[in-house]
Amino acid sequence: MEQVSRSSYKKRYEEEDEGLRFQPNLFTGNFVDLPPVPDGIAGDRQMRARMKTGVLERVSHEDVLKPEFTIDELNDLNNYFAWNVWDVLVMRATEGVSGMIPRQEYEILSFMQQFYRYPEFMRLITDHVGAQGVIDIGASARKEIGTKINCVHDWCLGAVAFGMGRCGLLALEAIGPDDYVEESNTILKFAQRVLWGKRQDGYILNSQDRYRCQIHDQDLIDRLVSQCESFEHGSDTFKQFTSFNAAAELLAFFDHYDCRLGLGDTGPYEQKDGKILIIRDLFVNEDVYHWSDVCEGLPHCFTLAILIDPEQLALEEIRVNDISTTFTIPKNYIPAICGAAVFVREAWDTPMGEVYNVPIKDLEPHVERIKDATFKLYKKTLKMSRRELCLNGTYSYYIGMLLPHLRKAGLYDYANEKLNLWEIDQRVSNYYYEIGKRNFVQSVVPQKIFSGQGYLPFSKDADIRRSKYAWL
Amino acid sequence: MTVVAEGYNAFETDLEPSGAILYLPDPQSVVKLIQSKKLKEHILLVRGGTTTFLAPALSMGAIGVITMSGAPESHLGILSREFQIPCIMTVHLTGSESRYEVGNASQEHFDEIIKELNGKQVTLKCSDSAVGKIDV
Repeated sequence: MEQVSRSSYKKRYEEEDEGLRFQPNLFTGNFVDLPPVPDGIAGDRQMRARMKTGVLERVSHEDVLKPEFTIDELNDLNNYFAWNVWDVLVMRATEGVSGMIPRQEYEILSFMQQFYRYPEFMRLITDHVGAQGVIDIGASARKEIGTKINCVHDWCLGAVAFGMGRCGLLALEAIGPDDYVEESNTILKFAQRVLWGKRQDGYILNSQDRYRCQIHDQDLIDRLVSQCESFEHGSDTFKQFTSFNAAAELLAFFDHYDCRLGLGDTGPYEQKDGKILIIRDLFVNEDVYHWSDVCEGLPHCFTLAILIDPEQLALEEIRVNDISTTFTIPKNYIPAICGAAVFVREAWDTPMGEVYNVPIKDLEPHVERIKDATFKLYKKTLKMSRRELCLNGTYSYYIGMLLPHLRKAGLYDYANEKLNLWEIDQRVSNYYYEIGKRNFVQSVVPQKIFSGQGYLPFSKDADIRRSKYAWL
Repeated sequence: MTVVAEGYNAFETDLEPSGAILYLPDPQSVVKLIQSKKLKEHILLVRGGTTTFLAPALSMGAIGVITMSGAPESHLGILSREFQIPCIMTVHLTGSESRYEVGNASQEHFDEIIKELNGKQVTLKCSDSAVGKIDV
């Protein structure tokens, strides 16, 4: 007798399917004269139908090698990123104050710092390795686990450094819509090359591909799956693995100042037996940050190969979104985890041949070290002043989002020693005081940046070469 | 049973944790609770939907969480799912018209919820895909 399938998630990959709604809100952005746009697959389709150029369709290698975008292409990227940011962050951004880390404050400061400073470093990398070399940096993610050249970091290059950085400066009235056109082009070109190199299917974002990030080479996937242990829901092995996943994910968030940079999912990769594989990097010890001293003894990254049974879950849709996070309908996929393996990459540059597997029965000592580090980091953090927390948080974004690309290009030390990478721009230092006024952080940031309302277009008169020449 | 408050359900679960609600106003109160060894006796009430504030409580076995802002897509929503700790977010009192509004929520809104819920013996009901309920 034919078994009736409980899952329906594969319908999401049929051409005419519009996906499910993960949130009740609608997006308007710069399209005030057009109907509002939903989230998900339908939203992606509607947004791309509004584009003037083909920059958000599948683009060729030749396109990516071109030195710059046109104004219309820049505006298409700006408008699409505005929707994409809203799609992945508008609900997250309802979370309010942290009570511990002033995240909204450090976020807006780092956005603006990135917009001002990243063009220099991105040009440095491009000059050093060439346009193809930048594409190759993105492509390196296909053959590695435990690499921060991943969805969220690569997305941040465009969505955060350009999109949110420019949007924040516009909201603060520090710049006008037609300032820094050339720098915007530098940022977005670099982002496009890395993202395109990673995906290799002509797209740059997971949202363009129905929220799939299927970037890993098959031989790597096979290697990971071959070491997965199968288990039943509620078994000791299930509990050991899920406890480890949760504890490591928490520390990964915390070590990156309550941000998503500590987590990197790819997938979903359908297996021959119908199970779904998610490959999850949890970066629990980023030694570039001084506060990670509490994580001593932990590796740079634990990588989890997670097998999910879509039938048990009655899975309707699965999204690996552009900030490397997996969401499903139904939301609770944990009970449907039916197999897993854990791997360790000791340092960011440990060769892949030296990455090793830890059997699930041996995870307990790691969990204890993770819990210990989490509590130590908590006690360390609560002694810090608001100023120190803002600075550390700014580093976690500004340094962290470009760090993997600088490292891969062999230019981190140079940028640090010769270009003052770790210095905060004087203008951004002054904004520290400005953002506390007029409820800017609590009100303007969610209403302008995460809502997608403040991403003003470049005007038809904008000059492709323009920077900002005077501070008046 | 009476539903005193409800909000976004972070994830679907049949777990129905019960305990006295304890409002945690600052990180020091979180440390104090951990050190008291009474973590599992309480449903934790916090203002924000971020992760760090409750980090040690999550990793050391909190049984249930209520927040006054945030959504399942917020970091605390994601982590509560990973830990399988029932979590109801952006709660509002069923007997009040006051609702959380991003960027515009008044202190009175939070104070009203804290005053009504803190110390109450409750059970979290989180089986619905969208709405979590707080029963007394």
